[in-house]
Amino acid sequence: MDLNFRYELLAPEIAVAVTAVLVMFADAFRNELNLKRNLLPQISLLGLAVALVFSLMLGNVSDDFARLVQIDEFTTFFRVLFIAVTLILIIGSHEYIDRHVNHIGEFYGLLLFSTVGAMLMAGARDLITAYLAIEVLSFSLYVAVSLSKNDPRSGEAALKYVLLGGVASAMLLYGLSFIYGVTGSTQYSEISAALSAGNVDFETALILGLVLVIAGLGFKASAVPFHMWTPDAYEGAPIPITAYLSATSKAATFALFLRWFAGPLLPAIDHWQWILALLSVITMVVGNLVALQQHNIKRLLAYSSIGQVGFMLMCITAISEQTGSALLLHLVGYLITNLAIFMAIIAFYNRTGKEEINQFKGLAQTNPYLALVITSGLFSLAGMPLLAGFVTKFILFQSVVSAGYLWLVIVALVASTVSLYYYLQVIKQMYLYQPEDDGNGSNHRWNLTVTGYLSTGILFIGVVWVGVYATPFYEFADKAIAPLFA
Amino acid sequence: MIPLENFLILSGFLFAVGLYGVLARRSAILILMSVELMLAGVAINFAAFAAYLDVDGFSGMIFALFVITVAAAEVGLALGIVLRLFRERRTSYVDAANTLKW
Repeated sequence: MDLNFRYELLAPEIAVAVTAVLVMFADAFRNELNLKRNLLPQISLLGLAVALVFSLMLGNVSDDFARLVQIDEFTTFFRVLFIAVTLILIIGSHEYIDRHVNHIGEFYGLLLFSTVGAMLMAGARDLITAYLAIEVLSFSLYVAVSLSKNDPRSGEAALKYVLLGGVASAMLLYGLSFIYGVTGSTQYSEISAALSAGNVDFETALILGLVLVIAGLGFKASAVPFHMWTPDAYEGAPIPITAYLSATSKAATFALFLRWFAGPLLPAIDHWQWILALLSVITMVVGNLVALQQHNIKRLLAYSSIGQVGFMLMCITAISEQTGSALLLHLVGYLITNLAIFMAIIAFYNRTGKEEINQFKGLAQTNPYLALVITSGLFSLAGMPLLAGFVTKFILFQSVVSAGYLWLVIVALVASTVSLYYYLQVIKQMYLYQPEDDGNGSNHRWNLTVTGYLSTGILFIGVVWVGVYATPFYEFADKAIAPLFA
Repeated sequence: MIPLENFLILSGFLFAVGLYGVLARRSAILILMSVELMLAGVAINFAAFAAYLDVDGFSGMIFALFVITVAAAEVGLALGIVLRLFRERRTSYVDAANTLKW
């Protein structure tokens, strides 16, 4: 068997991983070499920018690395997405990281390593690669969640995350072992061939495997009833990691969902379709209902993101080229929106050190720009017109309806309306109340730092841009999904 | 030759014992050990399937090796996190981790 070892195909991953190692070494020898603390985010940004250029250069390649990693438009789409998320995240939160995180060198290193894992999850074409990529992403995040400085919630959140994550991985693996046993291969293409040839006569083992795989992936995507870790990990983690969990980690899991359920597992669609439909309904309903009673902004966004996962699972249920590209577009819109909100919350936390919803009182007076960013972000998540969430949700619902799942979309519409209530709670605090005066000038006007303006500004423009003129993003998503159904 | 079913029963038993342990134990260390049992079941499953069904290929064996390696890494990492919790609360029981609710 001839394997193709063209290492240049993995250039973006290699660039990011090398940067991660460099950052950790730079941190370890910081005193000896008289390096400034600011150098660490700068090295990370530089490495990510190089990786971004590499992934764009590989944009038209369609090849595989040693039958382990597939490089095509789908991989490129997620590479660009994940690198961009990490870039923006570092720009927007380096001040927070400097002040509120233990071991900043390791923190940047872990962020970069988890980006590598996420990119490989999107590119894997073999179950072993996929599994290792999942663990690279998860392990980095387990540790990163625990790195908050002087916050006892952080260790607790990490413990819950790592224990439940371990169980979920074990279930996923047990499921994969049955799929391997039934089909006799770990290669996506061969699994697909074995399943569609129809000579699989171990139906019980196949169904058991599928159920366990869905449970494991459902945990990673925080679908109800496997969501119990999500609010705790979101609340206890440093805010940049909360943003990262809700953005990259989620998108990477859906990349894997798409790769698996539109590829190797597609021939077994009759066995898994109803499970995912059920999961998506429970996730939408529970996520949005429990969000109603939250008083911590990170927890609120955790439940809101669970609700969003329900919408995304609809697309996997009704999998086709159309719903697939709608899902990719929705992921882009959701990532931009969510990051915009989180970057604004980080800026707010840097100034005030607060994260309860009723502490956002009067933000419209003390910092109208930030209030505008948060409001447009929340409205976008709720699906208001002219903002990203409306367009992407509209296309998503439309594609699911045309795939014949009208009842799912009706549930989604109701859940989506419910979500408006708790988003408005936050907006009410910012616009309808006077700022509280604690004697330290907390009711005075204040400004963001330059990088704060930069990160929130880019994302705010992104939210409006996708909302008003989504065509380029739509075309990008359309092109990215094509190789999966070729 | 020992039939494949015997291996599958063994691995299923290990997995079930591990899952029970995760649900029933209250000490973080014992929960970790139970996760290890689940992963041991997985590794046996992969090795057995590789030996019986995928005779020309090694991917199942390689997968089993990776499962064992990653499991070891996971324990090291989780123990570090347990240690952090222990420093703060002087206990490794998961019931003590109760500040985050709903």
